[in-house]
Amino acid sequence: MRKIIPIFFLIPIFALSQSTSFDFHTPENVKKFADHLFCEGDYLRAIEQYELINQNLDNDTIEFKVMLGYSELGLYSKSNELIESCNYESVFYPDCYLLSLKNELILEKHEFEYPSIPSFDSSQWKSFGRLFAISMLYSDEPVVSKEEFFLIFEKDEQSAVSLLYDYRFEPPYKSPALAGILSAIIPGSGKMYAGEWGDGITALVVTSLFAFLAYDNFHADHTTRAWIFTGLGAFFYAGNIYGSVASAQIFNARIDFEFNNGLELFLKQQNYFLPQYDFCE
Amino acid sequence: MIKVLEICYKGIRFSSLKNHFQFCIPYTFIPLYLYTLLLIISSSAEIHSQTEIEEQFNYAKKLYDEEKYFDAVTEFKRLLFFYDGDIYSYESNLLTGLSYKKGAKFSEAIQHFALAELNSKNIDEVFIARLEIIKVNILRRTTGRALALLDSLQNDSKFTGKADEINYWRGWVYIFSDDWENASLSFSAIQANHQLAVFCDSLDNDLYSAQLAKALSIIPGAGQFYTGEYVSGLISIGWNVLWGYLTINAFMEDRVFDGLMVGTLLWWRFYSGNIQNAEKFAIEKNLEKTNSALRYLQNYYQDSKP
Repeated sequence: MRKIIPIFFLIPIFALSQSTSFDFHTPENVKKFADHLFCEGDYLRAIEQYELINQNLDNDTIEFKVMLGYSELGLYSKSNELIESCNYESVFYPDCYLLSLKNELILEKHEFEYPSIPSFDSSQWKSFGRLFAISMLYSDEPVVSKEEFFLIFEKDEQSAVSLLYDYRFEPPYKSPALAGILSAIIPGSGKMYAGEWGDGITALVVTSLFAFLAYDNFHADHTTRAWIFTGLGAFFYAGNIYGSVASAQIFNARIDFEFNNGLELFLKQQNYFLPQYDFCE
Repeated sequence: MIKVLEICYKGIRFSSLKNHFQFCIPYTFIPLYLYTLLLIISSSAEIHSQTEIEEQFNYAKKLYDEEKYFDAVTEFKRLLFFYDGDIYSYESNLLTGLSYKKGAKFSEAIQHFALAELNSKNIDEVFIARLEIIKVNILRRTTGRALALLDSLQNDSKFTGKADEINYWRGWVYIFSDDWENASLSFSAIQANHQLAVFCDSLDNDLYSAQLAKALSIIPGAGQFYTGEYVSGLISIGWNVLWGYLTINAFMEDRVFDGLMVGTLLWWRFYSGNIQNAEKFAIEKNLEKTNSALRYLQNYYQDSKP
């Protein structure tokens, strides 16, 4: 009984310590809240909260999370500005570095040139190697042969990478000049060369018909009508040559668009070869 | 003021300053009094903590009232993260949803209205939260979903007294579905000459029928005249007369091939173009009228809007 009585009296004291006034804005509570927002995917608010406390806590995880948050928000330049604040000695420095490569690839779309590389572990080396290799797809000429280029990628990535490599360095472009010349010789053939078979056949039929109608009316001495059809025929003929050149240019632009789109989609699916960071366990 | 007077029998005697009363507390009861005192202090601290939560809620609400919606969402989220009670959960989620709605973040708004509904304490709060979900669906033009939600409210016996409100928002759903006739019917179900019923009815009568425009275009140019595009109508008549004359003339002079070619490649092209053109004009004019009506409702209609 004597042992129980002190415990009985200690309960309210314990309760008192638990129920002291609550401050929402202590650095610890702000950090807890920011972590929650980050895990919720509300990066903008999370960054705002982290920035409120970053100076007080001097925490490299927070610095990396802010950088990652900006990147997730699509503010790649802002994210890359923070690489300066990433401490070289920090365990997160290689991750900051890889993230900055991703941001740079999205922003600049050029081949990487790097004077200094941080100390990576094996998985970070793999990420770095693949990011570096994929950046070669933005150079004007192939830097390495296709076989060498392949080596760095996993087997399940190789078919997509092969297609992208071919699209970049051996694009199936059509010559606008050739399309124009073909249409000048046989109306519609330039369109067919640019892959627009339906338009090509229509152009051939319509131009031939107008030519025939013009010839037939001249032959029958209906000169007014003959000139109307000649004018229409000439309009279609010239329009077809112009249209064939434009079709070839559109075809080439589509190749470039498909390459850029395909590469972006592939990189997004691969998360730019970066590790999946889990701060929300 | 109470002061200790003297030692009494197995205890301490207390008396008031003016000696109006005095009492003796036995030693054995002193721990019990101390314990009671601690409980009072403890509960007052709890009240203090509650006050801070209330302050946080009021601060977030103030931001919302000042139309600082981004900050309001942050502060409501802060409150909801640290506070696990249910006094402020409904209102905080509702106001968070409304803030997101003001920022056109519709998915996030619906998510918080759904949370508000889950934390609602009575049937009126459920109704308000569901109506907000319906309004967001109206704004993001997922009107099918809004109608389904309104149907579920209408079929729920708990909301039989809310028929007018349900009809009112059903009318708005139809407005955003560009179905002005049904919108008018929904508002009329509240009151025969409801302001919005009259408005929708008048607009519905004012709209062109695309089908009629197409049918009138059997006579080239008539569809364009119906939609008020007189110049376009005259041009259409001109082209059809020209190519029609050349086609008929060719057939009359036994130049059948000429007639077929001009008839199919030119006359038919211009004739069918005239029909398509009349339909396009009717659709474009209707779009102008409905956009102007929506603009009017947005700027000048004073009652509840999505």
